[in-house]
Amino acid sequence: MSADKDVLWVGVDLGTSRSSIAASNGKRHVIESFVGWPVDMVAKKVVKKPILFGREALENRTMLELHRPLERGLIKEGSARDEEAVRELLKHLLGLAAPAKGQKIHAVVGVPAEALRVSRQNLRNAVKGLADSLMIVSEPFAVAYGMEALLHTMIIDIGAGTTDFCVMMGRFPSEDDQRTLTHAGDSVDEQLVGLIKARHPSGRFSVHMVREWKEKSSFVGDPPAPVVVKFPVSGKRAEVDITAEMKRACESLLPPITETMLDLLSRVEPEFQEKVQQNIILAGGGSRIPGFAAALEKALADFGGGRVRAVEDPVFAGSTGSLSIATDAPESDWEPLSA
Amino acid sequence: MTDIAHLKREILRGVVRDNLDLVEGRRREPLRPIQRRGRPLLLAGALVVAPLALFLSLNAFTTGKGERTDVVVVGAPSAPAAAPVEAVLPAPKGMEPSLFRLDVRTVVLDAGHGGPDPGARTAAGLTEKEITLDIARRVRRMLTAAKLTVSMTRDGDAALSLRDRALFANGRKGDLFVSIHVNSMPMADAPGVETFFLGEAADARVERLAGDENRDSGYTLHDFRRLLEGVYTGVRQNESRTLAASVQESLVAALRARNPKLENRGVKSAPFAVLVGTEMPGILAEVSCLSQPEEARRLADPAYRQAIARALADGVLAYAESRNHPAGKRS
Repeated sequence: MSADKDVLWVGVDLGTSRSSIAASNGKRHVIESFVGWPVDMVAKKVVKKPILFGREALENRTMLELHRPLERGLIKEGSARDEEAVRELLKHLLGLAAPAKGQKIHAVVGVPAEALRVSRQNLRNAVKGLADSLMIVSEPFAVAYGMEALLHTMIIDIGAGTTDFCVMMGRFPSEDDQRTLTHAGDSVDEQLVGLIKARHPSGRFSVHMVREWKEKSSFVGDPPAPVVVKFPVSGKRAEVDITAEMKRACESLLPPITETMLDLLSRVEPEFQEKVQQNIILAGGGSRIPGFAAALEKALADFGGGRVRAVEDPVFAGSTGSLSIATDAPESDWEPLSA
Repeated sequence: MTDIAHLKREILRGVVRDNLDLVEGRRREPLRPIQRRGRPLLLAGALVVAPLALFLSLNAFTTGKGERTDVVVVGAPSAPAAAPVEAVLPAPKGMEPSLFRLDVRTVVLDAGHGGPDPGARTAAGLTEKEITLDIARRVRRMLTAAKLTVSMTRDGDAALSLRDRALFANGRKGDLFVSIHVNSMPMADAPGVETFFLGEAADARVERLAGDENRDSGYTLHDFRRLLEGVYTGVRQNESRTLAASVQESLVAALRARNPKLENRGVKSAPFAVLVGTEMPGILAEVSCLSQPEEARRLADPAYRQAIARALADGVLAYAESRNHPAGKRS
């Protein structure tokens, strides 16, 4: 890495649910990927800001035109506002990195693999002018690079919108080395909403509440503790045990992820297959689901066994990986990639 | 340099290369004939056909009776502009475009609907305009990988009239035009795919479908009549039919593997306005059926949209290949 004080290198993980930034000046921030504009002048007066981000946007959502721009792992269509929301989100994150006045920004932005596949030019357009130079990479690749897991490794990045798979074989991954599923955090939320609604038709709760319950109490296998939540049922606030629903919703991720993992493993050259099997890394918010890695290891047992471990810091694994790419790239690599 | 440092450097080169490809207009390799690689790949489609736009534009260099001249278009750095509609009216009939050995270089993809016009919609809120754009972007990536230049009439949620789309395709000097749509047939028992080229409506249902898709065409009656006069000159229609057959065959083969109940609704002619104004072989593909709940569920899955895109791209590339290597005349 050059010691050029005129340049700030940043790594950004632009996720469906959360976005984080890690910068070469040591700053690290994470926000929920919500962007909201006040719906009218009254709302603008109340929130006192022209635009709100993350948790603050979520908490004031009744007064905002709220966008979570990378839903389903893509820049959403249907509203030009979603492209604008991506731009504003990134602008906000870069502001949090606090570049010095006049400092150039070299940014590596990690995005869900599907967004990279389909909306790459739109992403590039969306961030035009915000950084001096820009590279866009897939999130699982950024995680692999940051962990130096570049050889005989499989990354399974369980995000909110998508689960991305990336097999690293000592080369820049091709499309054949990567897969994407829409079975991910959001699909668990949807299942959980449906299952709880089915048992408590008169219960009132929002998907945001369900998301918080999941983030606190998700699990697969044996429950570490009963999952009891509070929400109004028939107008009365009630304590409800949702352990069974939580288990079923979280375990709904296992079959498609296991199947895809095994399929990708079967495509690895036979002499390297065992090495990859012993080197599977879970990343993303889903990697924090207790019991998930063990469940995948159990599935691998029928195929000679394997080792599945979770990244230590799923919140920043993508952005620190992107930062590693940014700092490792020589200045000559950045020159033709002006944003 | 340690092994890991060397590995990182190599992989970083891949990152930079991949990103350079992203930069608009940048291509690492020029369009080349596949014979150079000695493999009869579909990529050969890149240097194949005499697309009608080029073919018709050659009329500007003929005597007006259809004789060939020595005007060399093959290998030109970029395709010449398609002639305006008036200039193509005396297009000769019965000529074989492959005689000219012209290349397909530019494909114009048209994602149906957009802006305030969502097209068909599911109860869950999935809209035709989102799906068509997603599929078009995937096809773009595949055709670009096959060394074709791809332009898209819209690459965002833009409102475009059908006239604007055709003008865009002509302005980009497209060699082929592919309009992507998703059907809605609430009365149908099973989902199906069908591919259209310009002509008279095959039946009453197709006429209604064309009427729906032709809303807000942006053409005046005068424009429409004038454009229609230039359509039935034979060659463009024939090439469009061949392209439609290739795409339909590819779609059915690929999607039946995922859904055995999928109906092959075939290749049909229909008076779609967006195909009237385009000056190159053009088709409109109805790649799925949003009104079928099972199909709507599949369309929400990126893997299914990827399969549709792959089938569309393969159909286009196979068409190009067939024009380059007509039976018994391989070169």
